[in-house]
Amino acid sequence: MVELLPLRFRMLHYISTVGKTCAEEMMKALKPEYGTEKQFTKEVFIEHLLDMKANFVIDDNDVLIDDKGELVIYYSINDEGKRLLKKYLPEQWQKIKASPVIF
Amino acid sequence: MKIAGNQTALMMKGKLDAQFDRKGVFIGLFSGCTWGINNVVLGLALTLVPSLGDDAALYALPLAAACMNDTLAGLWLLIYNGWGGRLQEIVRSLKTFPGLMVCVAALLGGPVANCGYLLGISMAGPAYALTITALYPVVGSILSRIFLKQHILPRVWAGMLLSVIGALVISYVPPEGGNSENFYLGLIFASLAAIGWGAEAVLAVFGMSMIDPKIAINIRELTSGLCIAIFILPFVGGWAVVSQVVALPGAIGTFAIAALAAGVSYLAWYTANSKCGVAKGMALNGTYVMWGVVLSVVFFSQELTQNLAIGSVLVLIGATLVAINPKEFFNKGGHNHG
Repeated sequence: MVELLPLRFRMLHYISTVGKTCAEEMMKALKPEYGTEKQFTKEVFIEHLLDMKANFVIDDNDVLIDDKGELVIYYSINDEGKRLLKKYLPEQWQKIKASPVIF
Repeated sequence: MKIAGNQTALMMKGKLDAQFDRKGVFIGLFSGCTWGINNVVLGLALTLVPSLGDDAALYALPLAAACMNDTLAGLWLLIYNGWGGRLQEIVRSLKTFPGLMVCVAALLGGPVANCGYLLGISMAGPAYALTITALYPVVGSILSRIFLKQHILPRVWAGMLLSVIGALVISYVPPEGGNSENFYLGLIFASLAAIGWGAEAVLAVFGMSMIDPKIAINIRELTSGLCIAIFILPFVGGWAVVSQVVALPGAIGTFAIAALAAGVSYLAWYTANSKCGVAKGMALNGTYVMWGVVLSVVFFSQELTQNLAIGSVLVLIGATLVAINPKEFFNKGGHNHG
């Protein structure tokens, strides 16, 4: 059992466990952990992703328009992001590759 | 990195990126404007504190003011984060290394830099101390280049230097000669302030790769305020000032309004740093000296001296250069990646 990470930190970790992902996919995956919180909105996820990209820890590498005509951006982790996670991700999270058991 | 995707999607993404850049610049300028408001209102609040003698005016009063400003701003931000349902994020962040880095940033930018600033002024005189401390955006940019590997365009450097010169012209006071016995120690303290503020921005931006700026700034303000209250105020008689202020509803109310502006400003500064990098964020925040002049002239009928006017124009030109690529601006095409 592990303790929840701050949302942005968890998003970075999640991106590291999948090849590439977008805001909507991440929301589906992280719903069991953060779904009941007021900050769990698409705007917040998009903002975190744009900020992390501006801080050079993730890259955007694919874009498309979905059925609703909305822009979807796919992100993947880069070397700097991997380095940060390796160094600063709490030990209990280091081995987690899928959804953890949270308390 | 090459991005795949169809033409329309790429165009929409280009728009989103441009919007993001513009948002960072406006938030940075807003942080400068609200910091100018904070300075003016804080100045007003200080006039409402009963006189406590010259010694108190030198250290106790400014440090107590810094403590109340940070603590009250931290409380305003707690309300903001509580309303946004993010209080649990504060606890989560404090259990991680990046969260603790924000605490270190708070100590450098709060107690260390504030004390260095005040001691620098008192030992080396304002002419020299203010000149050194005004260099903090340059220090922050150099540190961000070294530690965060952030690329800084020559245009941004030039704009920042113009802003620093403008700030110096605004705060210019004739030198009194370096004859104080602690003159060189004063210069060291002033340098400590510039390094403290510069390092704060770099450490905070590092932390914000992993935690939300809204949370980082809340941690920063509370850590700084509480540390000044516990470790510094008792040694300079600062608690006497705080108890006097708390007993006067008008004074504490004015301090609370100033702190609201400080909270908004710091939130904006951290957000801008996280969006457009330390160099641009600091340079745009540095426009506060100009906003302070504008507010004082408009609302408090302060005389607009030649120094204030020239300095403000220099800050404005500098900030514009930091924010806008003149070539792209006049072509009105594309967006600013600078």
